[in-house]
Amino acid sequence: MQKFLQKVITNNLTRASMAHFGQSLKPPVRVAITGAAGQIGYSLIFRVASGEMLGPNQPVILHLIDLPFAMTALNGVAMEIQDCAFPLVQGIVATDNQTVGFKDVNYALLVGAKPRGPGMERGDLLKDNGKIFTETGKYVNDHASRDIKVVVVGNPCNTNCLILANQIKDIPKENFTAMTRLDHNRAQHQLADKLGVHSSDIRKIAIFGNHSPTMVPYIDQMTAKNHKATVDQQWVTQTFIPTVQQRGAEIIKARKLSSAASAGNAAMNHITTWVNGTPEGDYTSMAIPSDGSYGVPKGLIFSFPVTVKNGKYSIVQGLPISPFYQGLLDKTIKELVDERNAVDHLLK
Amino acid sequence: MEVQQSLTVCVTGAAGQIAYSFIPLLLSGQVFGQVKINLRLLDIPKMETALKGVVMEIEDCAYPLIGDIQTGSNPKELFQNCDLIVFLGGFPRLPGMERKDLLQKNANIFKEQGEALQEVGKEDVKCVVVANPANTNCLILSRYATKIPRQNFTCLTRLDQNRAYAQVALTLNKPLNSLKNIIIWGNHSTTQYPSIEHATVEGQSFVLPDQGQFIERIQKRGAEVLNARGNSSVFSAANAVKDHIKDWYNGREDTLLSLGVLSNGEYGVQSGLCFSYPIRCLGAFKYEIVGNLQLSDFSKQKLKVTEEELIQEQGLAESI
Repeated sequence: MQKFLQKVITNNLTRASMAHFGQSLKPPVRVAITGAAGQIGYSLIFRVASGEMLGPNQPVILHLIDLPFAMTALNGVAMEIQDCAFPLVQGIVATDNQTVGFKDVNYALLVGAKPRGPGMERGDLLKDNGKIFTETGKYVNDHASRDIKVVVVGNPCNTNCLILANQIKDIPKENFTAMTRLDHNRAQHQLADKLGVHSSDIRKIAIFGNHSPTMVPYIDQMTAKNHKATVDQQWVTQTFIPTVQQRGAEIIKARKLSSAASAGNAAMNHITTWVNGTPEGDYTSMAIPSDGSYGVPKGLIFSFPVTVKNGKYSIVQGLPISPFYQGLLDKTIKELVDERNAVDHLLK
Repeated sequence: MEVQQSLTVCVTGAAGQIAYSFIPLLLSGQVFGQVKINLRLLDIPKMETALKGVVMEIEDCAYPLIGDIQTGSNPKELFQNCDLIVFLGGFPRLPGMERKDLLQKNANIFKEQGEALQEVGKEDVKCVVVANPANTNCLILSRYATKIPRQNFTCLTRLDQNRAYAQVALTLNKPLNSLKNIIIWGNHSTTQYPSIEHATVEGQSFVLPDQGQFIERIQKRGAEVLNARGNSSVFSAANAVKDHIKDWYNGREDTLLSLGVLSNGEYGVQSGLCFSYPIRCLGAFKYEIVGNLQLSDFSKQKLKVTEEELIQEQGLAESI
């Protein structure tokens, strides 16, 4: 039973006033964010609402979803969105009801997940989140727009995405992805720093695998300022990979809070790239349903290097995989297979 | 794309909550367009480790527009070569603190920062004061940085303005961009005067069903959000800072805007006070105070009340 009814605050933008003010605005899209009352939600929602994610001509209707106990705080977030006077926000739905939350939604960023409590085993974490994402999967299948694009951020994001997608019958499976863009952005910076260039000068790197300590930062084809660039192997194994893996923990230690801003930023980047495409001569990282490429078992939600065009991603094929990288790939594949087995009872 | 120019921007209180929300907006290109931003992040020594974490996250966002980053606790180091300084850092109100103490503690901070500006600041540096009491902090800052032109000192009332626009749009059930010239007059406090006297909706002037309620709601919105969120208005404040700087820099032709600026006596307000006025933003950080609007007796009375408060604040702050 819902203690809080959904709150719908609409601010109608009539076609007449759109024409009068000379804006070529597109019809609005619905963007859902779960865990909306939390820290990552706070960093993410406002940047989406300002038009950064989908562009200055794309009005949005925000669907902010969280648990019943968070509804008062979520109402506070909705008040703040109003107080920003964003011209692109045409409505705000703040709710704990997933039917309402996912109705006709075009983009969903699933940040909400059960966090790991003290003494919790990884297996328990998987099972608890499994229940959450099974539920959400049903609501998305039954109520979301048939063209919805979904990015799962809440951890363990790959397996949560797998469970969610398992409930989907009526929407293409490739619309369900998980986020490794944060690892990608972190790797990009570390490499730029090492090579003395700007992070935007680093291209052709990718994250393979699970968003976990087994993730594989692949830099074999890396370019810096469009020239092939290499770094010494010892630095890669002893500094680079551990730094990217442990970055989250390092930030928690310094800030006493988790890396909400950079996580929210990466979630937004993931969707923006999926919509706008990858730059010429570069690729990005997305965790997507495996089609068997690179020997990854079909159906696993696995991060690959992808190019994106016209709203569709394609795995970059034929990248050379050295024995070093194969060893790392094997580890992350095994981990994901184990995770899948742990939630086997939730999968059909 | 090739990024041509660069700007150096200092943010004080850089390890704090508003900075955490503001920095991504600053680096997103929404304010200055395709211009590289060199960041100077200032906070107190106690926040040094937290500041390192902020820098790590900025790096992890891989912003195309980020230039170099410096951190520290000494304004005399960090204010050098800055084109813009955003003063988010101030002394917070602690439980049991008297208003007088808050004013004086902040006056000390802004005196020190004003002196640093005077010593090392670029002659034409632009200042946005956000830390409360914003208007009086801005006044103190300007008193100690006399080499810098008076019109370079501003304080934030854009949050109140954005709130006012939102409430009017909801009340009238009209889109936001059909509204113009809603002005916040005076102090960024509960004596502020949110005025629709010169405002229009779709080109027409209008009245609100309950003007008193509207005014009070905007004055007390901060507390309303605090009660709901359990935390103060962080993101909407950061967004307002972004709007203030963006419009001050780029100019706005379609509407007057609210900025706290140093008064030259417009509307009979005591000269030298930092007072939120109707401003025409001309671009390239130039603006003019629109000083010739007709004011009703009601409005004049409201202006007097908020001016009185600012005069009192000035007195308390200057007794340091």
